[in-house]
Amino acid sequence: MDKIVPAQYQPALPLDKLILQEGADGAGGAGDRMELDVLIVGAGPAGLACAIELATLARVDGTELNIGVLEKAAALGEHSLSGAVVNPRALRELFPDLKEGDFPFRGPVTKEAVYLLTKGGKLRLPTPPTMHNRGYYVASLCEIVRWLGTKAEELGVNVFTGFPAAQLLVRDTAVAGVRTAAAGLDRDGKPTSAGTPPNDLVAKVTALAEGTRGLLAQAWCQWQRVPSENPQIFALGVKELWETKQPLDRVIHTLGWPLPSDAFGGSFVYPLELNLVALGLVVGLDYRDAALDVHVLLQRLKQHPLLRELLAGGEMIEWGAKTIPEGGFYSLPERRSGAGVVLLGDAAGFVDVPSLKGIHYAMQSGIFAARAIFQNLKSGAALSEYDRLVNASYIATDLYRTRNMRLAFRDGFYLGGIQAALMTLTGGRFPNGKYRMHADAEVARSVSPGVRPGSDETPLGVSKVDAVFKSGNSTRDTIPSHLIAPPDLPVEVARFYSHVCPAGVYEAGEGRLRINAPNCVDCKATDVLGPRWTPREGGSGPKYKRM
Amino acid sequence: MTTLAVLEQRDGVLRKISHEVVTAAQRLGDGVEAVVCAAGAVQGADQTGKYGADRIVTLTNPAFAKYAPEGYAQALAERAKQGAYRAVVFAASATGKDLAPRVAAKLGVAVAADLTDLAADGGGVVVTRPVYAGKALLKVKVASRPAVLSLRPNVFTPVERPKAGAAETVAVTVSPGRVVVREIKAAPAGTLDVAEAQVIISGGRGLKEPANFKVLEELARAFGGQAAVGASRAVVDAGWRAHADQVGQTGKTVSPSLYIAVGISGAIQHLAGMRTSKVIVAINKDKDAPIFKVADYGVVGDLFEIVPKLTEEIRKLHG
Amino acid sequence: MKIAVCIKRVPDSETRVKIAADGKSLDEAGVKFVLNPYDEFAVEEALRRKEKAGTGEVAVICLGPAAAQETIRTALAMGADRGVLLQADRIPADPFETAKVIAAELKSTSWDLILFGRMAIDDYNTQVGPLVAELLGLPCVTAVSHLDIEGTKGVAEREIEGGIEVVDFPLPAVLTADKGLNEPRYPALKGIMAAKKKPLEVKPVQPGAGALEVVALTPPPDRKAGKIVGEGAGAVGELVRLLREEAKVL
Repeated sequence: MDKIVPAQYQPALPLDKLILQEGADGAGGAGDRMELDVLIVGAGPAGLACAIELATLARVDGTELNIGVLEKAAALGEHSLSGAVVNPRALRELFPDLKEGDFPFRGPVTKEAVYLLTKGGKLRLPTPPTMHNRGYYVASLCEIVRWLGTKAEELGVNVFTGFPAAQLLVRDTAVAGVRTAAAGLDRDGKPTSAGTPPNDLVAKVTALAEGTRGLLAQAWCQWQRVPSENPQIFALGVKELWETKQPLDRVIHTLGWPLPSDAFGGSFVYPLELNLVALGLVVGLDYRDAALDVHVLLQRLKQHPLLRELLAGGEMIEWGAKTIPEGGFYSLPERRSGAGVVLLGDAAGFVDVPSLKGIHYAMQSGIFAARAIFQNLKSGAALSEYDRLVNASYIATDLYRTRNMRLAFRDGFYLGGIQAALMTLTGGRFPNGKYRMHADAEVARSVSPGVRPGSDETPLGVSKVDAVFKSGNSTRDTIPSHLIAPPDLPVEVARFYSHVCPAGVYEAGEGRLRINAPNCVDCKATDVLGPRWTPREGGSGPKYKRM
Repeated sequence: MTTLAVLEQRDGVLRKISHEVVTAAQRLGDGVEAVVCAAGAVQGADQTGKYGADRIVTLTNPAFAKYAPEGYAQALAERAKQGAYRAVVFAASATGKDLAPRVAAKLGVAVAADLTDLAADGGGVVVTRPVYAGKALLKVKVASRPAVLSLRPNVFTPVERPKAGAAETVAVTVSPGRVVVREIKAAPAGTLDVAEAQVIISGGRGLKEPANFKVLEELARAFGGQAAVGASRAVVDAGWRAHADQVGQTGKTVSPSLYIAVGISGAIQHLAGMRTSKVIVAINKDKDAPIFKVADYGVVGDLFEIVPKLTEEIRKLHG
Repeated sequence: MKIAVCIKRVPDSETRVKIAADGKSLDEAGVKFVLNPYDEFAVEEALRRKEKAGTGEVAVICLGPAAAQETIRTALAMGADRGVLLQADRIPADPFETAKVIAAELKSTSWDLILFGRMAIDDYNTQVGPLVAELLGLPCVTAVSHLDIEGTKGVAEREIEGGIEVVDFPLPAVLTADKGLNEPRYPALKGIMAAKKKPLEVKPVQPGAGALEVVALTPPPDRKAGKIVGEGAGAVGELVRLLREEAKVL
């Protein structure tokens, strides 16, 4: 086999399991049933901004509003991961009475540099206009989420951590709520003595803010046949947090080495404190080499003098990974609202790749959704008001301006770079029309036998097993597997999955695929390219602290 | 000021851990009085002189054949109150952990528990104890007189330092106990828990297949019932071994006297579970495997040749 | 059944230990605090006992800072009926002082059972339970991994080296819970909602200084670099010699 087209091996989204008609056979969970006015799925920046804005609107109006937020992580922020340099715009809008200094940021960006790397060398580039970060702040998304969660709870929002939403409860074509995942099952899926059945949460409006590659958001779009002009495409980011001996005073981005020229991506190096550095590598999942391994590439990147000198004598204290929706404007679902439901943040695809920003778009979409939901509950106004607000806002105009920029890189790094530069110069008007994209899983990968993907046993390198340990993942080893993989796979495909997954979940041993499900850190990379992800019991997965 | 070293017996036989207590008690200087609660004479108690006890006192009571938490505590507290002891030292064994706080409370103090180091400090005692799962060491000054201490097992290697070891038996009366040990069920043979074992032989992917664990089981048997077979997460995930045998993150944290890692590369999640072992031996064919970085002794090569040879040597020692 | 469960707020087991500037304590920046895992067994056991009895009360008592209210809420979300926070900024280094404060709170009520976790995963003291039992004059069984109760008679099992001790005891009693006693339940949605409305009384306390004084908290020494004894089966003889003579473990 010399080519793999991942889509050929990918199981379909199990829609029959994900969409559950209320009142149908098997409906009516054995666990608790709870009725809410508004149910928000996912306590990330989008979901929490939505909850805070809703609670504030209700308070000002003197209305009682029962708002619940479901979060699969054991505690707030533990599944949140981003770079991150944050544009404070949405936070300002959400908290007009607070000052910039009140926000949970680590510090303003004062200096920045962009480098094109070669093996061993570097060339400083002028910072592309889309990548200017003056006026923005370095932050940890975990910390932002914990802070937002506290604010939401102070406003009377019920935040339920440790409860993943597993199924969408529907009435005809309207979303009625969600059913959570069961907990305390053994390897065969049978309840242990601590077995806990799923709970049903029903609400007048359900906001899906599940984050990147949201399971229920995907299911809803497929079920309601909500198209987008292009399929959504993704990148995988692998991130490490280092305590360094050398101080770092600037935000650094790099392009080029160690990525092959037919892959799109780059690295980021951000100082949370002078001696606490977040660094990561982001690679588009439309890469062409079946043996490309983002985690291994990040380990290699650390051998570059730029990083080697920074990290020498330091210690890696956290590790994590997550995908990023990169499709931009043309990959947005045609509508992000429907009967009883809205889609927020990364789950809707509100990310601007050229500026590497998503958090403030996520929060802003949450704020808009809250306003539309509030009107809907008050006066029955349609939830499509949410789409109108987004379309009339900077979310849409920002994404439209850079609409083809990421897409141009389907042609490779250099050609893509030239086209992207022209797009910047013309304010997005070059070229006319729209670049067509294939879904990542449709992109063929070349298999070159005998080529080793590169070793991670380098001086600053970290193996995948060690990496998972540093993610704080201590998922029970006896959980049932939550990943849906085809039963028989060519060994080349199994090997491909082992490279896609940064957490060592997949191994191609003895000619077959082995799945170490507890290792999973919910990055969703193989959900894009291979085995499907479904939620595990609440509280499992990584426990990010400052990612 | 003498130190009172509390020994342990089971079925009328002195437990070996008692020698650790006597050895450590000597560090506080000024003589050691060893004391043991029993129904009658304790076999092996006379040996404690060899390890440095100046006196050996057996406190007897018909109720003391098995561990009697309240009776032991009463007898020992009364004994402790009689002398001007600098310290009362227990082993932090299953019994010691239960007994020491009872005695301490009767003396109106707390236990400085699970020590790995101790020294006299003026009239008091300064001790070191691991906290946060061994991720830090806490140094504490104990001002109470007597200081009540318990010692982490397997830390204080018994040293022979012969003293008089004058034996004395004192019959004591105690109130009837409310908490009564009815029986001691023996752990089923061959199922020694990795958390309890003195010696752990752990296997990883290098074993190649589940059936090959028998070479480790044979080595464990050669240690004569003190050894348990552990496993890395990789082989537990693969279903080769039971989860209860897993050492490391989400498995068990162990600190045996001897940990032999066979065919285990040494992922940090594994190291986190065994790095506090007293002595670590690694057997691995890859000389660059991270396990060698934490191992005290490493042997590079084919485990299927090395382990059987080791089994043979251990059998000779124990045979 | 009237049951008290004494719980502690501790840094989670994955905490990376960083020593604070005073050289004597944990730097708590970025540390996540949780309900001590052994105390979860105690809470679970209390809930099961109460459920079995069909009536009664489970009260959780915690000595700790104001933030420990969150820890108490976790136990309330599992199903405990009410909480008492004995609020103090610092937990004393001397467990006897902790025990005195807790015993003083427990004294005024007649409990059928008082449960503790076998130990806290931060300080590994393994003794507040039995100290409290002594202060209250109650019978005590520690490290219980199996428990049967009929009326006022209990039978507990505790693991000892190479065996299992079977212990008879009368109620009321103090027990400390070990792993294996039960599998703690997952918090339920309704439980979390209900927990917000359950009574949580905050009582400021001032524990004494006690007789134990912390001198220093230090990282453990790095393991000394080991040595490769040799290659292949031929090295086994030397390995055994070193284990006997140098390491003295054989």
